[in-house]
Order: sequence, then C-alpha cells, then structure tokens
Amino acid sequence: MNAPSSPVILLGYRPWRGALRGPWYGMWAIARSSLFLLLRRKMFWALYGVSAMVFLLFFYGQYLHSWLQTQIPDEPIRLGSGMVGATVKPKELIDIFRKILHLDGSGYTFRNFIKFESQIVMIVLALAGAVLIGNDFRFGSLPFYLSKPLHRWHYLGGKFLAVGILINLMITLPAVLLFVEYGFIDSWDYYWDSIHLLVGIVIFGALITIVLGLLLLATATWLRRTMPIIMVWTTLFVFSGGLSDLLVISFRLDSRWRLIDIWNNLYLVGNWCLQMDPATIPTPFQPRYSEAAAVLVVVCLACFAYLNRRLQAVEVA
Amino acid sequence: MKGRQILDTSPPMLPESGSEFLIELHGVTHRYGRMTALRDVTLQIPPGRIGLLGPNGAGKSTLLKILMGLIVPTQGRGRILQHDLIAGRGTGNWRLRQQIGFMPEADALVPGMKGVEYVALAGELVGMPRRQAQRRAHEILTYLELEDARYRKLEEYSTGMKQRLKLAQALVHDPPVLLLDEPTSALDPAGRSAMLRLLLQMGRDFGKSLLLSTHLLGDVEQVCERVVILFSGEVRGQGAVRELCSRRHDRYRLQIQGDARAFLEELRQEGVEITSENGRGEIRVVVPRDWQTRNFFLLADHHDVLIRGMIRDDESLEELFYRMVNLP
Repeated sequence: MNAPSSPVILLGYRPWRGALRGPWYGMWAIARSSLFLLLRRKMFWALYGVSAMVFLLFFYGQYLHSWLQTQIPDEPIRLGSGMVGATVKPKELIDIFRKILHLDGSGYTFRNFIKFESQIVMIVLALAGAVLIGNDFRFGSLPFYLSKPLHRWHYLGGKFLAVGILINLMITLPAVLLFVEYGFIDSWDYYWDSIHLLVGIVIFGALITIVLGLLLLATATWLRRTMPIIMVWTTLFVFSGGLSDLLVISFRLDSRWRLIDIWNNLYLVGNWCLQMDPATIPTPFQPRYSEAAAVLVVVCLACFAYLNRRLQAVEVA
Repeated sequence: MKGRQILDTSPPMLPESGSEFLIELHGVTHRYGRMTALRDVTLQIPPGRIGLLGPNGAGKSTLLKILMGLIVPTQGRGRILQHDLIAGRGTGNWRLRQQIGFMPEADALVPGMKGVEYVALAGELVGMPRRQAQRRAHEILTYLELEDARYRKLEEYSTGMKQRLKLAQALVHDPPVLLLDEPTSALDPAGRSAMLRLLLQMGRDFGKSLLLSTHLLGDVEQVCERVVILFSGEVRGQGAVRELCSRRHDRYRLQIQGDARAFLEELRQEGVEITSENGRGEIRVVVPRDWQTRNFFLLADHHDVLIRGMIRDDESLEELFYRMVNLP
C-alpha cells in the first residue's frame, strides 16, 4: 500500500461485511431519529409537561372521587349554625362533582380527556411540523433519504410513524391507562362491561393519528417553516370552529356548515367511537356522524394525493 | 460473529464472473414529457474509476438516477452490478441501492443532527443493524479525520467537513460502487486536492468502483481511468482516458535548438498550428491532415534549426472534451 499522500489517512479503512435488512427497517430508523430531534427541543418539554398534568388530573381525580365515596358517611352533616347553617349530604355533594367533572370511567371521561389532550397535541404538532418534515424540504435533506434503498413511501411512512408515536403517547396510551386504573378502582366487571370504551379509545386515537398525521405531513411539506404552519393550523382548528359557530348559531345556517371545522368532525366521529349519544355533545346543531366521517375521509385523501405529488417532484440526483 | 463481520478484510464485492462490466446500457433513452434527457445511450464500462463528464444539462443527473434505479428509462435496457434496471423496478431497485453509495452534490444534511448520528442513520437506512451502523459510523468518521467533530451539529460543519461527511454516509455500508455527484464543488484548492486524493485511494487501494459525475475536467484527470463524455443527452465519447487522449495522430511535441522564429512562422504558413511554446525550445503542434513528419526536418534544415527530439503528443482531456462536444 502506498504511503498516505494527503492529510486524510485511510490506512485504517476496514471493509464491512454483514447482512443488510429490507427497507421496512429504514422506516423505523427515520421515525426514531425524527422523534429524537423533537425530544431535543426544550420548548416541547413544557407542552409535554402540560399534557402530563392533564393526565395526572384525571388519574388522581378518578382515584380521589372513588376514595371519597368510600370514606364519607351517608348521614347528613350540619355546616355552620343558626341562620347561616345548612345540612348537606356529603355523598350527594361528591356525586354532583362527579357528574360535573365526569370522572367516573364513562364515555364522558375519555371523551373529555381525549379532547383536552388533543388540543395540546395540536399545538405540539404545529410547532413540530418544521422539525419533523419541513426542514427536509427546506434544507434539501430528502436526497439523503431517497438515495438510500427506500421508496418514497417508506420515507413518508417513517415520518408518519414518528407523528403517530407522538400522538399515541400523548393521547391513546394515557387514555388506556385511565381505563385500566378505573377498572382497578371500581371492579373487574368494569373491564368486561366497558370493553366498548377501550375499543372506542383505540379507534378514536387511531383516527386522530391518521387525520392529524396526514394533515401535518401535508402542511409541513407545503409550508416548511414553523410560523406559516402554525398560522394554517390555527385557521384549520381555531378560526374554522369560530366561523362554524357564527354561521350555524348566529346566522342560523344549516348545521352542515359545522363540517368546515376539522376538529369538530374528529370529535363527532370520536363520539361515535365511544358510543356516545349525539344529544350529549355540548355544542348544539351538529351534523350527522356519517357526514363528519365523510369529510375526514376527503381531507385524508386530499392530503395523501398532495403528498404523493409533492414527493414525486423531489429530485434525488 | 458481529466482530468477525467488522474485521473481515475480504475485497469488496464486484460483478460476478460471467460479466466483466460494472455498467451495461443498451440504447437507453429517457424523456421527460417532450424533452429528451438521454438519447440512445449505450455503454459498457468495466469496474474502476470512471468519470462522467458533461456540461450542465448534458444528462448526467438523469443517467445517475437511472443507474441508481430511481427512474426507469423510457426505452432501452441496462444492468448495473448484475441488477437489471428494468426488471428491478417492481421493488424500487432497493437491492441495487444497497450496493451503491451515493454522495449528492447538494448538502443533503439533516439539521439538528450530530455527525455520528447522521452517518449511523445512513447505515440504518441502507439496512445495517443499529449497533453495527453506530460502530461503523465512528470508524468511518475516524478514517476521514472527522473524529473530533463527530458530536458537533451538522450546521456547524465547514464546507470541506460537510463534503467528507457526505462521503462518510456513502461509505458507511462499504458499498462496492460509489456514485459521486460533484464531490469537489465549493471546496477550496487544498480541500479539493485532498478530496481527489481520497477518492483516488478509495478506488486504487480499496477496490471501489467510482462513478464521478462532474464538469471539472481536472477532477477526472486526477482520479479516473475511464471517462464517459455526455453532451445533449448523447454519449460523445467513452473509453480509457489515456487511450482516448492518445488517439490523435496529428499532434507532436518538438524539442528544437536555435532561433526558431522563422521556423515557426514557416510552420504556420504550411498550416501547422502551434498550440504551445514554452520559450525553452519545446513546442507543441497540430499538423494538417496530409502532413509528413519529414517536413519538420526539411523546414528546420532550411532555417538552421536543430530538431533534438520529436514525439507524438497526447491530447489533453480538456481538448478531447471540447473536440467531442464540438465546442471551440
């Protein structure tokens, strides 16, 4: 071998011989590296903290209610004295709180929990879009991925997997934990009697994952930078809700105008997943579940078509 | 077992016996709508260090994409590393790309990632198990003298370091073939020279086949044994650099002694083109078609000039390139 003639010394170069795996493993590598990039941003930890607090509120709320019910006697107690005193039944008081907060392991509990967590997830996703996928387009990282033995859909699958893991870690998994916790508090029969809730939680979580995941990939691919993504997500999930309220409630237009609000559509289909009565939905004048589901399908297909077109336009070499 | 895999020093995999060619293309044409990017390209290239020369828009990138199996040619057929480019399209040719290391011209770096993570990710994307990819990433970055910078974020790398990092991600799985798209672009002269020496070593000492796509003739001259000249989507010339440059029989290099002014003037009048004169008695000439070498001696004798030496002169790669593409 010749003596090295450059500052770069390759005398130690060693070949590598090993079995290479298929492109599906590459998807996992993409998802993992994308999640690591997200976890490195300190800003997101504040939002993860808020999400954890919501979970802990429900977790300990359920426990506290159950504990109080077993500890407080049925007999009424006298609070105060004379004219300002009153007799209250502590158990009834706890029941009132329980009905208001819905910390009773019912469909309401999980619907409320998923709603609160979803709002945090939407903020996280709006901020994470640029890191997850926008930067790959903005800084030309795509040729790096696509020159490897991967199809374009493997790349997209890896990114979607990252979004899915994030969403499910913040929504589905904690909701399932709440379900399991309530079974421990209540009785073993709860698991069997409320199995539809567990199925509903998983389907609702999957639905949020698919819709928000595809929307995030599409908007981040299109806009690339954080601020425009936030503006579009605000329009999609905040302004559209306000506008639909205005049209349906104030202008008394058809309830189908609510279909412009993507989150409301998700919420309606989530109610169907949890087998909730439409009459229990707090906002009045709602379209049918099937109409909301149809709009979500259209949104997903549109995102899918856009991503397909956008990725095919990427030049590798 | 894993350790043995790492320490294995067997030579890199090259085309199996039965085909001596690394790349075989037959009548490959590729069109983007109405625009024809490649026109009836036929190539048979054995393993080695190959330069792909051509100006912007010549079809180099399209050819690279076809060779990587990213696009299927509109017409024609081809094989690279025994992989049929047409038959493999159903699987996206991913098995072919496992045997290729591609160094893109663009930065193609992932912001926020550290150097070693980037190279390890490249290994995993190719299909290496995670731990082996990480170990190999450390090794390869050390070989390329980036060990001190491996935990720095990619945004903090200099241009030269980025180029070496891109080479590292192409080399991480030790592919037998490297496709290099403008590997010296944006490098300063010292960085360029180091990169070219590195590529030469990879090809010469470690048996890698290189396909160096560039418009810089000097890069090809320093590194490559063979060259393919592309222009307007057509192959204008291909073969061993030395052979192509020595094919011309109308060039001579003369060593003369004496006052050469009148001699040179008469050579010009006879239709001989003086391409260079170094002022120390060495001249390079291009003679007309029906020129006979004894004419040099007759004219020299006439002007009291002594011809001390006369050899056939090779064409430079630059001259060859411009002649092939019919540019002045």
